[in-house]
Amino acid sequence: MEKENSIRLNIGPVHPAMHGVLKLILDVKGDTIIRAQTEIGFLHRASEKIAETRYFANYYPIMDKLDYVSALNMEILYASAVEKAANIEIPARVVYIRTIMAEIQRIMSHLVFIGSFGEDLGNMTGFIWALRERELLMTVVEKISGGRLAPMYICNGGMFYDFPQGIEEDILKALSTIENKVNHEYNAMFTKNQIFLSRTKGVGILTKDMVKKYGITGPIARASGINRDLRKVSPYLAYDKVDFDIPLENEGDSYSRFVVRTREILESIKIIRQCIKDLPAGPYKAAVPWIIRIPKKDTFVKQESSRGEMGIFLVTDGGDKPYRLKLRSPTFFAIHALEELLVNIRVADAFVIVASVDPVMGEVDR
Amino acid sequence: MEESNEFSYPGLYEVIFMKAEKFINTVLNWGRSNSLWPLTFGTSCCAIEMMTFGATKVDSDRLGVLFAGDSPRQSDLILVSGTITKKMARRLLNVYEQMPDPKYVIAVGACNVSGGLYHDSYNTIEGIDRIMPVDAFIPGCPPRPEEFLDAVRVLQKLIKENRSKAQINGNIR
Amino acid sequence: MATLDKLKNGFKGDLEVMTNEPSFSVISIKNKKLIKKLAWQIKEEFDILYALTVVDYSPNFELNYIFSNYKNADLLILKVNITEKDFAVDSITDIFSSANWEEREAYDLFGIKFNGHPDLRRILLPEDWPGHPLRKDFKVDDEIRNWTGLDLKF
Repeated sequence: MEKENSIRLNIGPVHPAMHGVLKLILDVKGDTIIRAQTEIGFLHRASEKIAETRYFANYYPIMDKLDYVSALNMEILYASAVEKAANIEIPARVVYIRTIMAEIQRIMSHLVFIGSFGEDLGNMTGFIWALRERELLMTVVEKISGGRLAPMYICNGGMFYDFPQGIEEDILKALSTIENKVNHEYNAMFTKNQIFLSRTKGVGILTKDMVKKYGITGPIARASGINRDLRKVSPYLAYDKVDFDIPLENEGDSYSRFVVRTREILESIKIIRQCIKDLPAGPYKAAVPWIIRIPKKDTFVKQESSRGEMGIFLVTDGGDKPYRLKLRSPTFFAIHALEELLVNIRVADAFVIVASVDPVMGEVDR
Repeated sequence: MEESNEFSYPGLYEVIFMKAEKFINTVLNWGRSNSLWPLTFGTSCCAIEMMTFGATKVDSDRLGVLFAGDSPRQSDLILVSGTITKKMARRLLNVYEQMPDPKYVIAVGACNVSGGLYHDSYNTIEGIDRIMPVDAFIPGCPPRPEEFLDAVRVLQKLIKENRSKAQINGNIR
Repeated sequence: MATLDKLKNGFKGDLEVMTNEPSFSVISIKNKKLIKKLAWQIKEEFDILYALTVVDYSPNFELNYIFSNYKNADLLILKVNITEKDFAVDSITDIFSSANWEEREAYDLFGIKFNGHPDLRRILLPEDWPGHPLRKDFKVDDEIRNWTGLDLKF
């Protein structure tokens, strides 16, 4: 009976308010969604198949384009997987530089989230501001690596280049600007803005049970009160040597997902400052040949990317290319949860919820 | 020889009409080239650089590229930024066909130029010129936001000189 | 891990422990029919199916179920082998909800059937896409590269 009165709404894959190429199929009754389905795969670029045809060192550009908003996190993850499989020891300086770059990328990714979240709520000023601050760090990344969105900075055993001279001051300067803006301007624009509050508070509540049911990780899970961050739980890189907190919220609504990410920016700034203070001298690269052969084994590596826990299952067979490479992407699971999360809410709020999950379809579809 | 005898110089009426048509065309092309409203067909990485193209540092608005409608019915330029997969191809054409004439296409990124990084992938299209006419290509993976400005300048020049694909094919209302 | 001993006692010869480290262990099971029973036991300690990886060792296919939990970052990898002759395995979607999409992905890219899956459709590729591309015998040739996909219906 319910079906007879409902209208089927197809939103996406091309829609101005849709993040990337996600498609929502909503059965709507009046203005309320009674059934939601998601369709993905519009950006399935066959990254896993391509891995089987590339040398280990030649796969980094594809990793860049997986989660293209946090490319360096992806590069570092892949480098860790290859280095773990091939038993490559990386120098101390590499560990610290990688930590700095991962956190810079996390800040940039969260700023893009703030911008696009603002845009979806009709808050264009937020979008312009967030991208303005991101450009500061983009300039820094450009100085370090030569690239912007896809830096191609990490390679097997280290980085392609060392930090250029005096870059530490540039980073610190950019960070203090961003810290100031996040603490003051963004509060005025978002968290103290009545319109923003009424559109996000209590919208799209993701309970703890749902998080566990769908296997969601990352900031979305932490906004629902699940205290799990791989940087603390199983530290990698230099995360066990720095002091930082994990932002936690208990409500699980769109607002807390926003707040968790905003506070993570501040924590990342804290991490980068400590890393720059103890940045050791030494080589920026271990001597690793371009073509390496890895004996037959399975390797699983997981790291905390900006969107949650990204994992790589790398199967090698003694050759110079991976035998199989599986990518475990965090938002793949989060989008599955949308099918339950979008039920019994208004259509207008659906966009807020999708934006608050912050999917990047590059890693969902792979 | 008889034919050549029949040749006559254009009369005053024809001269005025031709000049007027040319003048009107020039004015129209000037208008078209300076108010390109884009449809942002962002699928992947290049879409993030396209966002930067519209934001403060590069600022597309100064060339009349206004991210205003985001609806195919109100746009005359489609910025295809990001890989087009086989699943997406029909959707891209569908959107393209909904745009009013004359319409211009800029293919952004290596994937849309030639397949780029994903040239040996089983699910991507190696260059969108296989399915639709393209006026300008932006190479790069992803291209810098400044290159978007350059492509828009190139497209404006093409439109002013009557050389865009829509004008060559006569798809002008 | 403590659960491993319990599991080993419960399954006797069918279960083989390949790696046993404090927070990482690999087990493999010989009889694929026991997978549901084993999954119920794993559920006692592990919350989620973290990932499902299929590896094509033609004619055998190896399924790697990776389990994890929210308390700590422990991992348990369960290996199951299936052959091309009997190309199906029981779905564990009713035990681990997060397995739903992962199993659909394995069906999409490798063509493995999951018995008892609630909604076994393709997930990444359209329904009428020919073949299962991640298998080793699927070669990316000029024909598939030049195909634009405009004739796909979904």
